[in-house]
Amino acid sequence: MTGLRKYIAVRILLTVFVVFCIVTIMFALIKFMPGDPTSVFFDSNYSQEMIQQQKKLWGLTDPIMVQYLRYLKNMATFDFGNSFFQIQPVRQIVFVKLRNTIMMMLPALILSCVLGTLLGAVAGWRRGSTFESVTISTSLFLRSAPPFFVGILVLMIFCYKLRWLPSGGMTAPGSAMGFWSTLFSIDFLQHLILPTLVLTSREITGPTMLLRTSMLEVKGSEFLDILRAKGLSEFHIIRHATRNALIPLVTYIAVMTGLTFQGQVLLEIVFAWPGIGREIVTALNDLDYPVAQASFYLMALAILMMNFIADLVYGFIDPRVTYD
Amino acid sequence: MKTADEAVKRFSSSRKRSFVNWALQSIRVIFKDSLGATGLILVAFFILMALLAPVVAPHGPFDVVYKPDKTVARLVPPNLTNLLGTTNQGMDVFSQLLHGSRIALLVGILSAIGSALIGTAVGLFSGYYGGWVDQLLMRLTDIAFGIPFLPFAMLAISLSRPSLYLVILLIVLFLWRTTARVIRSQVLTLKERPFIWAARAAGVSHLRILFIHIGPNVLPFSFLYMAIGISYGVMTEASLSFLGFGDPHVMSWGQMLNFSFNAGAMRNAWWWVLPPGLCLSLFVTSAFMITRAYEEMINPRLREF
Repeated sequence: MTGLRKYIAVRILLTVFVVFCIVTIMFALIKFMPGDPTSVFFDSNYSQEMIQQQKKLWGLTDPIMVQYLRYLKNMATFDFGNSFFQIQPVRQIVFVKLRNTIMMMLPALILSCVLGTLLGAVAGWRRGSTFESVTISTSLFLRSAPPFFVGILVLMIFCYKLRWLPSGGMTAPGSAMGFWSTLFSIDFLQHLILPTLVLTSREITGPTMLLRTSMLEVKGSEFLDILRAKGLSEFHIIRHATRNALIPLVTYIAVMTGLTFQGQVLLEIVFAWPGIGREIVTALNDLDYPVAQASFYLMALAILMMNFIADLVYGFIDPRVTYD
Repeated sequence: MKTADEAVKRFSSSRKRSFVNWALQSIRVIFKDSLGATGLILVAFFILMALLAPVVAPHGPFDVVYKPDKTVARLVPPNLTNLLGTTNQGMDVFSQLLHGSRIALLVGILSAIGSALIGTAVGLFSGYYGGWVDQLLMRLTDIAFGIPFLPFAMLAISLSRPSLYLVILLIVLFLWRTTARVIRSQVLTLKERPFIWAARAAGVSHLRILFIHIGPNVLPFSFLYMAIGISYGVMTEASLSFLGFGDPHVMSWGQMLNFSFNAGAMRNAWWWVLPPGLCLSLFVTSAFMITRAYEEMINPRLREF
């Protein structure tokens, strides 16, 4: 158990260290890159003294170390200040956007895990069949196509040609309602279909490939022969085998969720989904750096959290793993 | 599969064969695989397209085309003078498409070479020296893995001036991470092999062992990740351009899609949307097919998803 405990401690330290480094890189980027975020506020009507005065009020004339420490404290307490353009604290804006992103991601992730597991398990079990080669090559092909182009194609077909589904956004304009009533409205579901379709077509590759490979490994093990000797049907044997092949999938789900956060940006733009990825793009176009920075920070945190969870799960789930 | 094994063995065991011979051999092996052959033919087509672009393209990528009555030819559907129609600013889509292939190849090759060089070097040093060198380099890799790439690149680009080379630099800064980890794990097993001990015993220096004895043996993996880097680099540049963070003076396929998407061409000008999207997909997929064939050739069990 000490091995596991040490492993967890090392993982926690490592994650905190990486978060610290990323935050520092972000600070350095904004401080030392040629662009100056404050230039948004000053035009030619400002005299040099007024600019200096304002910068002093913002604390931008303090020594750089003081600014850095203050910044670290704010990041650690999720205090991102106010948006330059929206009269709201950044924290409020960003958390709503994060929720929207998760609302788009979750159905697709669940769908790809369930479908991917089924497809992968059958593909692995029927090694060398037409079903296997079709499944594998289709999912690999879908994965390698650019997500935003697939999104555009889907929009062109289902929305502009056939006029079946709305072209983008999360709800139809004018349908402002509470969170829960939105979540279960037909309107929201209609908006959700296309993004889910495209996202699933990409994310399903991972579980499918993984399940196929681990099924191939499980397939050769002896406990299946015993089941077969007991006279169980093929279906039941596959079920037992799949349960054992699922172990690697659990860690993969965590990693996949983290990775989806970054790929999400493109789909949110294509489908005009008001999520955190789209927020980064609009914030950067508006030069609204507090919002952009906070969105970036939250995304990085999400990815690192997921990787950390993957490591932990890996440690707990499989007793065969040792840490020395 | 037998020929594949032979090719690898021949490559890794003797360094007498010249690089050209080895490259030809690899191409022949990849060609045996039907998927790999398709990929090679497609890539050859794109290379040809890039080479011939200045000759074949009737216009420059930013040239505005006029109708006979001297008005700008906006959103003209495909016809004989503009094979793939024009954009909303009257630029010839066919010419933009041809010139886009040069950008794609440039981005793909530069980012692949850059990331393979850095990744291989990091992996070699990290795996061979171990200790604090390994710790330092691997923590650096962890950081590179922890940063969400697209948002980071957008932030960096918006804080400086967007340019194609900045985009390539950013891609390289992130692509090396996978290569480094894979090469390191290869080196870890290689350095315990008897021929390395023998070299040590014979008094060969560390650097020489690293580059002369271990290096060539991990080279197939460097090439594999270089090939992966081509499609990844092109895809990333396209993504950034599509999001509006590309070089505004460079008309890449991603940039074309960005303009057409923002102009709402999805609704009324399919000729402006489909060609760049299909070219991008085909290019990335063909690079991927080659990668897959090559990957099966050097290591049937190595798959990363």
